[in-house]
Amino acid sequence: MPAASAGAGRGSGRAGQGSGRAGQGSDRAGQGSDLAAQIGLVARGDAAAFDAVFEQIGPSVFGVVKRVIRDPAQSEEVTQEVLLEVWRNAAKFDAGRGSATAWVMTLAHRRAVDRVRSVQKEYERERRLAAADIPYDEVTEAVESSLERERVRRCLNSLTEVQRESVTLAYYRGYTYGQVASLLGVPTGTVKTRMRDALIRLRDCLGVAE
Amino acid sequence: MRPSKRDAHTLAGAYVMDAISAPDRERFERHLAGCEECAREIASLREATAVLGAAAAEPLPAGLKERVMAAAAMTRQQPPADEAQARPNTQGSWLRSLAWPGRLALAAGAATAAAVLTLAVVFGVSNGSMRQQLDQAQASSQQIAAVLTAHDAVMTSGPVSGGGTATIVMSHIRHALVFTAQGLRALPASRGYELWLIGPAGTRPVGMLPAGSHGMTGPVIASGLHQGDHLALTAESAAGTAHPTAPMMLDVDL
Repeated sequence: MPAASAGAGRGSGRAGQGSGRAGQGSDRAGQGSDLAAQIGLVARGDAAAFDAVFEQIGPSVFGVVKRVIRDPAQSEEVTQEVLLEVWRNAAKFDAGRGSATAWVMTLAHRRAVDRVRSVQKEYERERRLAAADIPYDEVTEAVESSLERERVRRCLNSLTEVQRESVTLAYYRGYTYGQVASLLGVPTGTVKTRMRDALIRLRDCLGVAE
Repeated sequence: MRPSKRDAHTLAGAYVMDAISAPDRERFERHLAGCEECAREIASLREATAVLGAAAAEPLPAGLKERVMAAAAMTRQQPPADEAQARPNTQGSWLRSLAWPGRLALAAGAATAAAVLTLAVVFGVSNGSMRQQLDQAQASSQQIAAVLTAHDAVMTSGPVSGGGTATIVMSHIRHALVFTAQGLRALPASRGYELWLIGPAGTRPVGMLPAGSHGMTGPVIASGLHQGDHLALTAESAAGTAHPTAPMMLDVDL
């Protein structure tokens, strides 16, 4: 089913932003507006559009959920919950308040973190904290061949070490800023500040600013 | 204690990455509700974390999409905001609706109830007993949705002796099943169908089936499944019994 009108008109103006993105900028923007349009159709109960949304964002949802939760079976469950939530709440998406990708990924990450924090016994958490390896490996692991990943890697590299570790431990591992602070041996106030600074720099480097 | 505005701003990064405790999250969201500037910053930072998330993309496990598509087909969608109603303070409201744990939980509850309703429609059950069951079943509706979307969910159906067909969706990882039946013989008002779990863990009454409507009964959740359980159905007195006293009309090896 063609994505004709619903929710369209977003994202196309962002193709040329940033630098060093030749060859992928227009793809990204095209995909972004397409996703928003598809979600508009999903809101009307269009199963074919939901299928298309799945194809586009499903792997990202599963990837981020699995990165936080680790356990493959639980990650599958949470991925299903997230995508069913997208189906149910598609009408609540408003393209004027952010991209469709951000809308879905926010839901995915929140659900993953909530799952980890609700089921994980404290001692397990402590053990994992103690066993945490160098967070930069998280990124290296995440970064394979795609240009998108290369871009993320480059932007993460532009951060200071504490900024980068704060972001990777919080986002990819699902740790609270307090846990990140104890892992890094840095005061919590510093971690909070670094997290915000890091995301501002990433936003600007990635060229996704509004 | 309320955080100062400056503190709240500092929390933006941790908030966007869900790196804050639940009480911190609530405090921050109260602040966010009255701070347009913060809402804009949060929205822009979320575009950055979305790219971080996309960089972690992995191929979907086999069958996952099909399971969600099947569950979606049985799940009622939330209606959009009513354009005819005033929409105060719309900026960033989707963010807050996502971010507000209380509302999220409420929405999930309502939607699973909706899923039960959809299931009822799928199986052709209408109002009356279903409505009453829905009212009673706020908690179990969540469980029903969990069973239907479990990745190991399997569906079986078979005949009920005395007439009718039972359909069961079961998830081992959820230790639960959803039971529905079609075309059960009507019983006198003094009698009712009672569902049982029978196995090494003992005989446990699941409960009375609600009165059928248009030949359709359920859905009913049976949780706490144990290894070696059977699902059984008997016709008992309408008040129910602690142990089955009548012949098994259905005995499914789970």
